[in-house]
Amino acid sequence: MAQLTVSDVTLSFGGLKALSEVNMTIEPGLITSIIGPNGAGKTSMLNCISGFYHPTRGNIFYKDKKLTHASPHEVSNMGIARAFQNLELFSGLTVLDNLLLARHQNLKYNFIEAVVFYGKASRVEAENRAYVEDIIDFMELEPYRKSLVGNLSYGVQKKVEVARALTLAPDILLLDEPMAGMNQEEKEDIVRFVLDIQKEREITVVLVEHDLGVVMDISDRIYVLDFGEVIGSGTPEEVAQNPKVIEAYIGEG
Amino acid sequence: MSVNTWLATGNFNTTYRQEQKTFVTSLDRSIFTLFLLTLFAWPVFFPISQKYMLVVDNILVAIVAVMGLNLLLGFAGLISIGHAAFIGIGAYTVASFSRTLGDSHVIVTHFWPVLILLAGFMGALFGAIVGLPALRLKHLYLAIATLSFQMIFQWVINFMSFFNQGQTIYVGRVFWFTGEIGRNQHYMFWYYIILTLVVLMGFGVRNLLKTRYGRSLVAVRDNDRAADAMGMNPGLTKVYAFALAGFFAGVAGALHAYLYRGIGFESFTLHQSVGYLAMAIVGGLGTLNGSFWGPVAIKYLDIQMEHLAEFAGHYMVQASNLSTALKPLSFGLVIVLFLMFEPRGIANWWRIAKSYTKLWPFRY
Repeated sequence: MAQLTVSDVTLSFGGLKALSEVNMTIEPGLITSIIGPNGAGKTSMLNCISGFYHPTRGNIFYKDKKLTHASPHEVSNMGIARAFQNLELFSGLTVLDNLLLARHQNLKYNFIEAVVFYGKASRVEAENRAYVEDIIDFMELEPYRKSLVGNLSYGVQKKVEVARALTLAPDILLLDEPMAGMNQEEKEDIVRFVLDIQKEREITVVLVEHDLGVVMDISDRIYVLDFGEVIGSGTPEEVAQNPKVIEAYIGEG
Repeated sequence: MSVNTWLATGNFNTTYRQEQKTFVTSLDRSIFTLFLLTLFAWPVFFPISQKYMLVVDNILVAIVAVMGLNLLLGFAGLISIGHAAFIGIGAYTVASFSRTLGDSHVIVTHFWPVLILLAGFMGALFGAIVGLPALRLKHLYLAIATLSFQMIFQWVINFMSFFNQGQTIYVGRVFWFTGEIGRNQHYMFWYYIILTLVVLMGFGVRNLLKTRYGRSLVAVRDNDRAADAMGMNPGLTKVYAFALAGFFAGVAGALHAYLYRGIGFESFTLHQSVGYLAMAIVGGLGTLNGSFWGPVAIKYLDIQMEHLAEFAGHYMVQASNLSTALKPLSFGLVIVLFLMFEPRGIANWWRIAKSYTKLWPFRY
């Protein structure tokens, strides 16, 4: 059974149709990529799933729960985490605090316990710190643990962004161009992390990416969007042979 | 390996709980304990006049209020120009009891801790209601929404006969285990009560900032879109921030009412609101110790300006008008200068001073 189903989703801003009747199924445990030229609606699609936009028509289901009108925090509490394309980190905080923030819903203590900070709150905080350290270890962020995020280089910030989404302990991870603006070495790093996330942590990955080489290499399924419509889908091989996709990318008729 | 708890050097944390400690070494803790003891002991050994004891009490009340404002403005990044009105809510909670039951009713005089707590909750309730526009408004627009609350508050107090149309409503003398607190002990008594509250609330805030309830405030300040994606409800967090600030303000208001043994609306005007903002800014936004520096600095400046005006008026009689102008003038100047040259406030000086003494003398 599909983990995430997007059925007939249309998103329009006034007269502009960002998405029109998009259908997608995200299978558990796979890396599904969404590609397409600039302005094709890839990020709009992710925004719809993660609750920042609500589809004008159509529905989105996570397993059997409907999340068409869910707000972002409801979506993330269901187990769908999101890393942003333009860094949306808490730049005034340390890497550690950024990741601890993502544990918000997992910290089970009440306000009074927090104010007293003795016993339960302290214990739960320490347990969650251990969890966060596990992620820091996994994403190899140890050297930057206590540095302010705003002072880190772009490549590291991107890694923190992915790490923070991972700290939510999601079932599905939505990555919005995690490799944009990176050099070859950093890209290879991120690709390895994405594969590790899928294999080791058994998280379904939805990837929006421009680098076709990367996408063709690591994806299990690909959806190609153009002008808000799905023009092709399937395995990387199938997509590479699809004449519509070739037309959209190379421009020959 | 023997562990020397007095020095930071040579000690390595082996659990995450060890890292949560507020005081890293026993030295830090001892110094702080000594400091607290001094705060509690000095009035006994060096008694000062009633007039100055009132000033000290005033500073402590302002610290309670500014702690709340700092949580709201410094940590959650939400501007409130109605803080004096929230303080007024707390004060008038006590006043309404005194007005309906009589100013020396047993509830007012014996159950004052309950009333102070109740005033805090009333402040929190009004804070949450006034915070509702924060769900939609940001920055300047939010400031105007809170400003309107300030105005509504002043009008309501001024026109309702229940609140004596803003004229003084008296609050009776309180009782302690030893009996009624008389005229001579009054300011000393409240010094100890408010100081205890300040210490408790200070530790409360310090703890709160280490937990999710504190971090969520900072999250909505820095990036409320990302906070939303991280599973917090940004709207709820903002309302909660207002409620928290309202609670501190309410407590401060009740303390104010008891300290002055009566209240009138002129203590809760827009002018006072701006004053609290100035204290928060001068102290240092987004830091806990800033909430302590700010009120001390501003109130001290007030006194010094009064002295200066008195001094000038003594020698040049024509300049006695100066005294009225000097206070607001210096007040405005200090805010502008701080915003220009030290936007991070006095707390930043404290931070710098601490980092100097980190290496000297032989801290490690």
